[in-house]
Amino acid sequence: MKKLLLFSLLLLLECQAPLVCAHAVVTDYSLKVTPLHTNHESKVELSFNSKVELGLSQLFLVSKGDKHQLLPAVNGEKQGQIIVTVPPLAVGDYAIRLKVFAADGHLTEDVIHFTATP
Amino acid sequence: MAGIADFLDSLIGGFDLICYALAIGSLFWGLFLLRPWAEQDKFNPLLMEKTIALLYKGGFWLAAAQAFKIVLKIWLMTTVLERWPFPEFAGTTQFIGGLIRTALTLVLATYVYQVLRHHPYSKQHWITTGIVALPMIISGAWLIHGAGRFDNRYFLMTFTVFHQLAAAAWIGGVFQLVNLWLLREKQQVSAECWPLLLERFSKFGIASVLAILFSGVLMTLQYIDTWNGFIGTGYGNLLLVKICLMALALGLAYLNKSAVVAYRLTGDSYTLNNRVPYYIEAETFVLITLLFTAASLASQPPAIDIAHLTASWQEVLNTFHPQIPQINSPTHIALLAGEAGRVAIIDQTPSMAATEWSNYNHNIAGLFLTTMSFFAMVSYLKLAETNKYVGLSRYWPVGFFCLGIFLFFRSDAESWPLGPIGFWDSTFNNGEVLQHRIATLLVFVLGVIELTARVSKKPHSRLPLVFPVLAAFGGLMLLTHSHVGFQPKSAFLIQVGHTTMGVFSLILACGRWLELKLDNPRNRIAGFISVAALFQIGIVLMFYREPLY
Repeated sequence: MKKLLLFSLLLLLECQAPLVCAHAVVTDYSLKVTPLHTNHESKVELSFNSKVELGLSQLFLVSKGDKHQLLPAVNGEKQGQIIVTVPPLAVGDYAIRLKVFAADGHLTEDVIHFTATP
Repeated sequence: MAGIADFLDSLIGGFDLICYALAIGSLFWGLFLLRPWAEQDKFNPLLMEKTIALLYKGGFWLAAAQAFKIVLKIWLMTTVLERWPFPEFAGTTQFIGGLIRTALTLVLATYVYQVLRHHPYSKQHWITTGIVALPMIISGAWLIHGAGRFDNRYFLMTFTVFHQLAAAAWIGGVFQLVNLWLLREKQQVSAECWPLLLERFSKFGIASVLAILFSGVLMTLQYIDTWNGFIGTGYGNLLLVKICLMALALGLAYLNKSAVVAYRLTGDSYTLNNRVPYYIEAETFVLITLLFTAASLASQPPAIDIAHLTASWQEVLNTFHPQIPQINSPTHIALLAGEAGRVAIIDQTPSMAATEWSNYNHNIAGLFLTTMSFFAMVSYLKLAETNKYVGLSRYWPVGFFCLGIFLFFRSDAESWPLGPIGFWDSTFNNGEVLQHRIATLLVFVLGVIELTARVSKKPHSRLPLVFPVLAAFGGLMLLTHSHVGFQPKSAFLIQVGHTTMGVFSLILACGRWLELKLDNPRNRIAGFISVAALFQIGIVLMFYREPLY
């Protein structure tokens, strides 16, 4: 009886869909007010609601065809601010994909879409 | 692999809180309710041994859970970041704080095992245990999500620890009551112990609940700043679920308190011995689920931070809006054609076929459940006992077989029998398909178990208990379930339906458990509530509408 119960519980455990932990979220970003222009390197500011462990976080530029390119990032002057350096881009649609590890131990993934204009 | 690590990470949070409640609740139980140094004659050595065993076992398990959490974080980061997370991870608060808390918990558990266990009636040793526990309790403040915030950080850390302490006092006390009842049932403790400690716990429980409410309201005001944030975000939704579960647990606690008061007035111990233990068992189901919900809540972004992603109350209500179930499915070809655009990051194109495919699956599953539970409700009518045709309604669990067949065909569009990928290939080379296959098998197993339990006349069989335990576990899963790959607002609009079903699953579990344990007519009332909850789950599924994404 106990084995049956345990087996059933394990089955249920297996059946659970994966979870997403999302405590650290982007509350603001400079692309909202400052569009990104083509052909020169740009800095994008991201503001988070909690402290982010930058050494354990990754930010990617995603271009057409979902090609990923790792972006260099540093901590900004304000709390929870990260500054990302985006290389010169051609006109088109892009996204910044984030994988950030928050100080509370949660890993978050997010995507910010933007358009590079002349 | 990231999904499994992430899932385990969320589950371990709930397990961690259970162990914490067991250890700290047992400490409070000894210090404030038993007070064995003053009443040595009332509490025999066996009771003390079992009480203290829960304390150190809770401590050792808590230390193991804390250490496992660190391992999971390493696993999760290695998988998500696709690289070894050291040396950076070694410098984080989570790693350092986690190791310190593990060590402090081990110190507490070891002290209880090596010292308090041998001096169970010593006031000095109980107080020393409290002092040894203090650094471990405080160390937890750096591991909660308030620790990572910028505003009112110390306020949030302090009140979260206070909230956890109050919850541990209540929930750990309920665990101790279950322990006490098991001893009482085997007549290993004196008969007076049971009403005496129930009465003491009633007052202590009220104080704990007030402390939970006080600290909870203070923290809520920090994390939720509008009514819309309360209604239209995942954080607010899980908080609402916590409030519902707490109301459910308090309802059961009220029945216990009333029984104690009646016993003191009349001296009749029937209710105390034949109903209260089972109310406490059901309360334990609710409280364990509450702890997992609390752990899940900690992984949600607070409503105050996502005002721009909050759903309106109209959108939330629309999720439950009655509508004709979708009984036509998009073609399999249309579904597969839309998948590439749906999962793309650049040039993402929402797939109407995917949304309709999901709606169809949910709505048809809802039709199965409402039909089954309708017959289940009929089986509780007096007519079902006298009319042989109406009496056939007790075979309602057969519906699980039909549901299983439906799930088998519809769960994975790209796999056999509908898709091009073969059965063995899809089952063993794709984790998600494997999970769906197991879920389908489980539905069949549930059908067999519940049908056998309902039809069998064996009075002492424990087989019927499997269904409520699995239903409670299923409810727990629904409450800790989130969706990957959605924007927070879409994820919330899906979550709100799942959490509602989670609460009804728990009512289903508690009702069935009480039906199996209580006397007539309470057992029939509980049983009817149980299948009525299943009916509600069916209704939610039948009207389910997934956001277009």
